[in-house]
Amino acid sequence: MHKLLILYATQTGNALDAAERLSRLAERRGCLVFLLSLDQYDPSLLPQEEAVIFVVSTTGQGDTPDSMKVFWRYLLQRNLGQHWLKGVHYAVFGLGDSSYQKYNFVAKKLEKRLLDLGGTAIVERGLGDDQHPSGYEASLDPWMSSLWRMLNMIKPEFLSNGPDVVIEDTVLIDQPKVRITYHSIENVESHFSSASDLTSLNIQIGSARSMHPGKSSSDRSRPDSFLKTVKNLPLTRLNSGKDVRHFEFEFVSNALEYETGDVLEILPGQDSAAVDAFIQRCNLDPDSFITVSPREMDDQNAHHSSIPVKLKTFVQFSMDVDSASPRRYFFEVMRFFATAEHERERLQYFGSPEGRDDLYQYNQRERRTVLEVLDDFPAVQMPFEWLVQLVPPLKTRAFSISSAQSVHPNQVHLTVNVVSWTTPYKRKKKGLCSSWLAALDPRDGIYVPAWFHKGSLPTPSPSLPLILVGPGTGCAPFRGFIEERALQSRTNSTAPVIFFFGCRNEDGDFLYRDFWLSHSQNKGVLSEAKGGGFYVAFSRDQPQKVYVQHKMREHRQRIWNLLAEGAAVYVAGSSTKMPADVTSTFEEIVSKENDVSREDAARWIRALEKCGKYHVEAWS
Amino acid sequence: MNIAGWCKNILNSTFLILQDGTKTPGAVLACTDGAVLPISQVFDAIRELGNEGVEQRDPLVLTSATLLSKLPVDSSSVDFVILIWLSVDCPVDQLIQEILRVLKVGGTILIRESSQSDVGSFDKIISDLENKLLLAGFSETQVLQSTGIKAKKPSWKIGSSFALKKVIKSSPKMQIDIDSDLIDEDSLLTEEDLKKPQLPAGDCEIGSTRKACKNCTCGRAEEEEKVLKLGLTAEQINNPQSACGNCGLGDAFRCSTCPYKGLPAFKLGEKVALSGNFLAADI
Repeated sequence: MHKLLILYATQTGNALDAAERLSRLAERRGCLVFLLSLDQYDPSLLPQEEAVIFVVSTTGQGDTPDSMKVFWRYLLQRNLGQHWLKGVHYAVFGLGDSSYQKYNFVAKKLEKRLLDLGGTAIVERGLGDDQHPSGYEASLDPWMSSLWRMLNMIKPEFLSNGPDVVIEDTVLIDQPKVRITYHSIENVESHFSSASDLTSLNIQIGSARSMHPGKSSSDRSRPDSFLKTVKNLPLTRLNSGKDVRHFEFEFVSNALEYETGDVLEILPGQDSAAVDAFIQRCNLDPDSFITVSPREMDDQNAHHSSIPVKLKTFVQFSMDVDSASPRRYFFEVMRFFATAEHERERLQYFGSPEGRDDLYQYNQRERRTVLEVLDDFPAVQMPFEWLVQLVPPLKTRAFSISSAQSVHPNQVHLTVNVVSWTTPYKRKKKGLCSSWLAALDPRDGIYVPAWFHKGSLPTPSPSLPLILVGPGTGCAPFRGFIEERALQSRTNSTAPVIFFFGCRNEDGDFLYRDFWLSHSQNKGVLSEAKGGGFYVAFSRDQPQKVYVQHKMREHRQRIWNLLAEGAAVYVAGSSTKMPADVTSTFEEIVSKENDVSREDAARWIRALEKCGKYHVEAWS
Repeated sequence: MNIAGWCKNILNSTFLILQDGTKTPGAVLACTDGAVLPISQVFDAIRELGNEGVEQRDPLVLTSATLLSKLPVDSSSVDFVILIWLSVDCPVDQLIQEILRVLKVGGTILIRESSQSDVGSFDKIISDLENKLLLAGFSETQVLQSTGIKAKKPSWKIGSSFALKKVIKSSPKMQIDIDSDLIDEDSLLTEEDLKKPQLPAGDCEIGSTRKACKNCTCGRAEEEEKVLKLGLTAEQINNPQSACGNCGLGDAFRCSTCPYKGLPAFKLGEKVALSGNFLAADI
């Protein structure tokens, strides 16, 4: 049987959506499809494949998504040779953002490597661009048309229904991926009756999230720990244009060990009223006990494989009902459950190529939530199975930890930017997680479900000199580094630290001002007396913009001296351009201080990276 | 000169140079940060380098090497440098640079770490040392089991064009992962690929196409927010009418120029409710 393998590498879910769409359209053409994430596929099997389609995203710094790293390394091996993929037909579709310098680098490199390894391209690579008015789909659809045409020409046996399939418009031919099983109350009580509050909560969250079809294989469903709020303090002045908070959390259940530079992932709570409104709108019973299982699983297994939870609990902990926007497929399926003529027509329009741009305006640009969409199409009644599959999964949000456990033994601190913005249609929107956190009060007794893992910033050893660049909330992990080093310096000698911070206004958003200042005076770890330094760029305190790069140039000799002593560089912050600008500034400094060309300086910086002495953690 | 007499000389002075640093073929320089260095260690190291006939050579021995800012040896005159390092700290970059200077092209450095510290920190020291060597411009580094590290002076100097083929990750698990067999992925990109993508013209206009980045720093996001003209008269709010018939159905049905965009659905003739999140300064 001729099998089409579709491999995707997704970071935020876009590549997965695109791959799923590709998969659906292939199946409608009579193709046998295997859809896998790149981290589920063994690269050594690649030469045996007949046809492979890659759908890969490029992340902000031009990097591969996490799920692709191992696969990519395998492919880069020199000893594979130029005939390794002889006979393998491939096609690559990339998702990227042309406002980044390294636009779609992952797809571009992948395609070239596949060619060099002896593969045969079915069609030219397709590049999706977030900056296009209707996003990546503008490129995907035409690219897919050529894909089917070419595939049909070179391997007609693949598409048994032919390359152009006319869909019977009145019938939904796809089936939901999940099935819902309802359980009677007696069978369920036993799981929770003897469990304490926290244990019960842990089980419920774990069960709900593990049953959800959107769960990725690497996720841990049960929270590592629960936290309670001890402090929630503003770090910015009111009306300064920014709202950044300092949080101090304490472990409630088992305390975990973490290191500076680690990442805390939080599951945000959803507004109870919104969850109730969703359940009511969809005519569901919030108190019924359910389990969710893959549709192909038989009755016996479905009944016993997961712990039943209340429908309301499932929605609350795993389905994002009032924040993330649904995808185009949600609208396609909705159409078949529209009972009103004008709604059905509108949904048909949205699903067509002509209506794609308008759908993008209405949905993605406006950040329309599922609840808002259902309210806009009040006559639509979607079965719960489809809702579970198509409502965006509730995602955890990751933050760099801003404390050192050696200094605050039972605590974890975070520095959070509370996000809000106005949509093109002038509606006010808030970030789900940051707003939820901002509303937390130590007295309300709310538990915060949390997971810990390593980020891209390895904990520095005390004898490693450091150059830190962290404007805005980028300073968060460095607060941990510095308070830890300050503690270490009391018993042993520690290496110097230079820290470049940046913000808008000295009296508006100078985060942790007193903390940095206290360590940069009195022979503290940031003091010049100790070989270190603390320098701040206030971008808006004068007519011309002053950023961290400018401050770095001012102190380039100090920077070079520390680099020559073997310092490691850490760059952190929220920005598309900042990391690249900072790297460029380092290159400039190395070039000037050593009187070598820019290219050689750039190579030297790249060598630093490869030696594990140049780390970047950038978030958007 | 016999060994005994030679050792006596070492004890009497801080620096001892046995012979001139002449340009003899197969010249060997041995350095140590210690004050004394048994000659047997030097010969052991020479043997480890595996060259026959090396025993016939007269190694130059420098002790207390940390006190020297420059090695009193001519540039590119030595085939082998043996560094017997006692201290826990890495040799400073200056010494490594000097060694690079005196080595001939293709010459080898062999560093023996003989500190008494436990294996754990030994691995870390070796890993740091390897990084230092690479950054200084050595190539073909090779870690020798629990004794030290070896490297070559390449035929290029730092500053001229070279591609770093070795990739070292100094992870906390103290594993040295040498990816010498991976191609350089940046070589897969063409000139065309590397050019900054062309953004659509008129990009800074606040329009429906290009939107401000989520973390906008140039001020565009605030400009977009300011383009706030409601464009609705009181009459339109209190007694809404719709020629197309779609305005009251909600955003999903409105066309792009609809004045009621962003407002909730309404019934014709009934006052439009300005919902709580619309135009409100605070939520």
